[in-house]
Amino acid sequence: MKLLLKSLFTGLLLLSGTPGLFGQSAAEISSKSREVVDLGTMQMDFTIYIRDSRGSERVRQLTMISRIFNDVNKTLVRFTAPSDVQGTTLLIFDNKDTEDDMWIYMPALKKVRRIISSERGKSFMGTEFTNADMSKPNQADFNYSLLGTADHEGKACWKVQSEGKDQTINKANGFSRTISYIDKANYLCYKVEYYDLSGNLQRILTSHDYKNVTANKYFSYRTVMENVQNKRVSEMVINKIDTGTKFQEDIFSPNALQQ
Amino acid sequence: MKRFFFFVILISTALQARAQWNGNTDLAIHGYGRGSVYGGSKAYDLASVFAEFSLQASARKGPAVLVSDIRFSTGMFYNEKDTRFLIRELYAGYKSRKFDVFLGNQIVNWGRTDGFNPTNNINPNDYFFLSSDPADQQLSNFMLKMQYRPLPGIDLELVAIPFYKMSDYRFDLFDMGELGNYLLFGDDMLPERILANGTYAVRANFDFPEFGASVSWFQGYDPYHGFNVVSVNWTSAQPVVRIASTPYRKTAIGADLAIPVGNLMIVRAEAAYNHTKNPDKKMFIPNPDISYVVGIETNVLGCIVIGQYIGKYTFDFFPLSVPVSPNANDPASLVQYAEKYIDYENRLFNRKVFNQQERTNHAVSLTLTRSFAYDVLSFECTGYYNITSKEWFVRPKLSWRISDALMAAVGGNYMRGGEKTLYGYSSAIMNGAFAELKVIF
Repeated sequence: MKLLLKSLFTGLLLLSGTPGLFGQSAAEISSKSREVVDLGTMQMDFTIYIRDSRGSERVRQLTMISRIFNDVNKTLVRFTAPSDVQGTTLLIFDNKDTEDDMWIYMPALKKVRRIISSERGKSFMGTEFTNADMSKPNQADFNYSLLGTADHEGKACWKVQSEGKDQTINKANGFSRTISYIDKANYLCYKVEYYDLSGNLQRILTSHDYKNVTANKYFSYRTVMENVQNKRVSEMVINKIDTGTKFQEDIFSPNALQQ
Repeated sequence: MKRFFFFVILISTALQARAQWNGNTDLAIHGYGRGSVYGGSKAYDLASVFAEFSLQASARKGPAVLVSDIRFSTGMFYNEKDTRFLIRELYAGYKSRKFDVFLGNQIVNWGRTDGFNPTNNINPNDYFFLSSDPADQQLSNFMLKMQYRPLPGIDLELVAIPFYKMSDYRFDLFDMGELGNYLLFGDDMLPERILANGTYAVRANFDFPEFGASVSWFQGYDPYHGFNVVSVNWTSAQPVVRIASTPYRKTAIGADLAIPVGNLMIVRAEAAYNHTKNPDKKMFIPNPDISYVVGIETNVLGCIVIGQYIGKYTFDFFPLSVPVSPNANDPASLVQYAEKYIDYENRLFNRKVFNQQERTNHAVSLTLTRSFAYDVLSFECTGYYNITSKEWFVRPKLSWRISDALMAAVGGNYMRGGEKTLYGYSSAIMNGAFAELKVIF
């Protein structure tokens, strides 16, 4: 499981060796799309609202801190609400070429525990987001193609499709393909459609309220994932982003998780 | 009643503090209220029925940290009405990037294996507190805890406990058959409250992507105590034996390990050598032994599976032999025989407590955990089988997160053992089902 929330906003926009309509390949488009929302070091407070088809709502509040050290993106996710999970903390080392390393601290157990970083297709915290959605995808696992252009709320976008190279990859990620809508003007991704293993549309991710956080860097402050099959909706709202703090490596250590 | 008023004052003070707290301080006050029912055993229709309110608060201002978990419960426990005010945790201290020091009532858990931790000797347990969550059985102890983190992934921990607190076994609830007719449980034999009787433990812990490991040293009274014969009343034809919970000192050297094998599994292991003195002279002191656990955790079809082997090797082990019945016409030898028999029975009982019934003891455990419906439902089941003593238990539990504030849990506990085994005795009390409703805030 590669929990990297920032990559959620790029969707799975990924590469292609095929040149696009304007001389750019899907790889180049997705790369630029990822770069434009890559804030590097950051601290983020956010809330996830989970709504089911009957209208009932659950709320999760989290704080996330992330920074890259020696090519390893280290992320700390701490639950701040509801109170029964308050203090539960995840530490993820997002390794480029190997499996991720993950630890969890649960206040009730009073110890840090190493956990298996599998089940990318599993729901993230009971939301419609999956662990795979929160991850940087392994680009080598997918075939990419430009499907053409489309209009999204008045903005001209590229339609980039990514497909898993085999069924194992699809099963691990929980989808067979995605189609991403990327703004031609600024490379911001506004929408990603996820198709299930049978090829049916399952979930739609929409990114709203992009704000200019630092020079040439943007971030979506509201992201909605709708499951069109079970009518559940999960909405992630960013409450605060701080990109100015240079976090020391020792806070990304398993033995620093316990409060 | 005094406890109740004290608790009300405490809550009022906490809420007032939250209202007036300076904005530079992180103050979190939360907790829960719950109703819990546990019953269905042979001895008790309802072994444990209680309502509980928990107030958990933490405050942090710069490096200053205060943590508390205070619980107030009232109900029936083994047919006895009781109202309890428990300071489960309450400690204050200093926390920085490299160094922490905390003083107060704390719970410290060591060890990387699951449920069976040979290196975890710090805190006592109330094994007879029945609820949906086994963590409720953990008891804090007043201690000084210091932690130093010289480098990322490395920490050194020191624990010093001035006064001993023992685990609660409540063996007085057992129906011990004929043995129970001449066996009484006396007051706990606590060590004198001097620093020389304190407990000291240190651990060096390493957490790296490739592996996690620790080595630890413990010197002090073991919370998992034994039983000693404190008196024998010979005035009646049948001698009445009074035994009491009696702790013993030990030195434990431990180590644990966790190694991830790709994305496939995590291999965990933990072991401790426990050194004791004079076990042959004192029946409540176990023989030196080495306890070890090896396990794997993996994912199978979305289910977390943890399988473990739990073993123990007892040094200087010798089988106990039943004293030979003497000449009935010799009163002196009859008394001597009775003394030997009492010693034999109590050593036998202690060996069950210490899990030293054979030179080598073998057991296995299996835990399955699975969540459903977007984590709204979660199921967990643990099974344990002691190959040596033929005792076993199974504990299923289903938790339902009805809303963010309301949770329910149902489950059960079924244990079984042969005649005169600990599980045999315990099953009559602890077997049963439980249900719990909890509101969190």
